[in-house]
Amino acid sequence: MDSPALIATADNIENTLSQPTPSQKIRVEVSELSLKRAGRVILNKLNLSLADTGITAVIGPSGAGKSSLLRCMNGLIKDWQGEIIVDGVASKHWPAGEDALRQHIGLIAQKPTVFPCSIADNVLFGIRGKKRRHDNSQLIESCLKQAALWDEVSDRLNHDAQTLSIGQQQRLCIARALAVKPAVILLDEPTASLDPRSKNKIEASLHGLAKTMPVVVVTHDLDQVRRLGGQAFFMCDGTLIEQGDSETLLNTPQRIETREFFQWSVCDCPSDADK
Amino acid sequence: MANRFTQALLIALALPAIAVPLACLLYLLMRGLPGFDSNLFSLNLGESGFGSSQGIMAQVIGSLALSILSCLLALPLAIGLSLYSRLYAGPRSNSVMQHVLTTFQSIPPLVYGLCGLVVFVHLLGWGISLAAGAIVLAMIILPVLTLNTIHALERVPSDYTDAARALGMSPSRVVWHVWRPRAWRSLLTGLFLAVARTLSETAPILFTATVFSGASWPNSLFAPVTSLQTHIFYLAQEAVDENAVARAWSSALVLVTLVAMFSLIAHLLNRRRSHHG
Repeated sequence: MDSPALIATADNIENTLSQPTPSQKIRVEVSELSLKRAGRVILNKLNLSLADTGITAVIGPSGAGKSSLLRCMNGLIKDWQGEIIVDGVASKHWPAGEDALRQHIGLIAQKPTVFPCSIADNVLFGIRGKKRRHDNSQLIESCLKQAALWDEVSDRLNHDAQTLSIGQQQRLCIARALAVKPAVILLDEPTASLDPRSKNKIEASLHGLAKTMPVVVVTHDLDQVRRLGGQAFFMCDGTLIEQGDSETLLNTPQRIETREFFQWSVCDCPSDADK
Repeated sequence: MANRFTQALLIALALPAIAVPLACLLYLLMRGLPGFDSNLFSLNLGESGFGSSQGIMAQVIGSLALSILSCLLALPLAIGLSLYSRLYAGPRSNSVMQHVLTTFQSIPPLVYGLCGLVVFVHLLGWGISLAAGAIVLAMIILPVLTLNTIHALERVPSDYTDAARALGMSPSRVVWHVWRPRAWRSLLTGLFLAVARTLSETAPILFTATVFSGASWPNSLFAPVTSLQTHIFYLAQEAVDENAVARAWSSALVLVTLVAMFSLIAHLLNRRRSHHG
C-alpha cells in the first residue's frame, strides 16, 4: 500500500511542493520554529513560507500545534525559538513593538468573542482613541463588507453585537481584525460548529481577502480545504509533515500520517485524550 | 425519616449561628435606641460627665476620615499590585505573592498597630495622628483589597483579553477598555467591604491615631482624631457614670449602622454584578 516511491521525505516535499512561485513575493517566512511547554514539544523546527496573497490551509489532528503556530506568528506566544520574518523584518525585533506586530498579523480565534458594545464599536475596538474620534463610517462599512456581514447589519450598527448569531459574530470578528489594517490574516478554525450558510459566507469573505493578503486558515474540515483552494500544510505532533497545493495534497498525500488522517483513522499522533 | 432527621439537625446547628448575632443586635437596639437624643449627633464636645453629655459627630467624622483616607492610600497600591500580578508576574511569582498576601491578611491588627506606633508615631515623630492611623489601616486592608482586585480581574473572561491582545491593543488599553468595564463593580464591592473593615478596627488606631478628648474635627493630617470605635472603648472601660455607658451603647449602634450600611452597598453592587455577568 505504502509504496516507497510514494513516500517522500518531508524535506523534499517542503522544497518542491507549492512554494510561492518566483513572481510571488514572500510575505512571511518561518524558519526552524520550535516551542516547548512544560518539557513537551509543541512545535518542532517548523519551516514554511507564505506568499503575499492566497489562502493557506493548515490541517492536522488535534494537538498537532496548529493553533500554537498561529499564536507564535501573531506574537501572542513569545517564548518560541527560531525565526519568523515578516515583510523582511524579524518579528522579534519588530520596529514598532509587539503590539504593532499583532496589528500587522491579525488573528481570529475559533470562538467568536464580541465585546459587550454595539456592532460599530466592535468593528472599531482595536483602533486607537484618536482615530476613533474621526468619522469612521466608511471604514466600518468597508470592513463589514469584506467580512460579508454588511447586508445583514447595515441597518442596526448601533445594536448590541452580542445579539448577533454565532456565524455573524464570527464575521464581525473578521471585520474587527480587518479594521486595524493587517497585512496577514490568521484564522483558527473559524467555521467550527457553524451552519453551512455561515460557513459559505465566511469562505466567500476569505476568498475576497486572499486577493490582497495572505490568509492562513486552521481547519479540520477537508471539504473546506478543497473549497478554499490555495496551498495546504499538514501538521502532526508539532512537525510539518507535508505541504503542497491543497488539491494535490488531498488527492495524493505522500506521507502515511497524512493518508491515515485523511481516512479518519488514528495516526501515530497522540489524540487529545492521550495528552 | 432520615431526611427529616438531617433537616432537624441542620436547623439545630444553624439556629445558634443566626440567633446569637440577632440577639446581640436586638440587645444593642434596646440599649442604644433610648440614648438617641437631639444632642447625639451634635459637635458639642461637652466638658463634663466623661462623654456622657457630648455629641458623637466628631467621632463619626474621625472614623470616616480614617476609613476613607486609608482606602485612598490602599486602593492605588492594590490596583497596581493586582495589575502587575495579571500582566507581568509569572505563575511562580503570582503564587508567592498570593501566599504572602494571605499571610499578611491573617496577622492580628494589633501587630500592625504596634508597628505603626514604633515607626510613624515615634521613629518619624508624627505623634498620634490621622496620617499614622490611616497608613496602619491601609496596611491592614491592602492584602484583602489586592486579593479581591486580583480575583475581580481573573473573572474577566480570558477570551476578551486574548481577542484584544490579538488586535494589537497595548496592555494599558486592554486594562482600560476590556478589564475596567467588567471588573469595576467587583472592585467597588471590595472597596466598600474594606471601608466596613476599617470602621470595625479598634486596636491599631488606639495606638496610632485617636485620643479620647481634646480633638474635634481632624484639622490636620498630623493631628490626633477621635473615633467611634475608641470612644466606645473608653466610655465602656472607664466610665462610672451610667449616662456615659448609655452613650457608649448609642455610639455602638451608630457604628454598627455605619458598618452595615457599607456592607449593604457592597452586597447590592455584588448582586448587580451577578446580574450583569
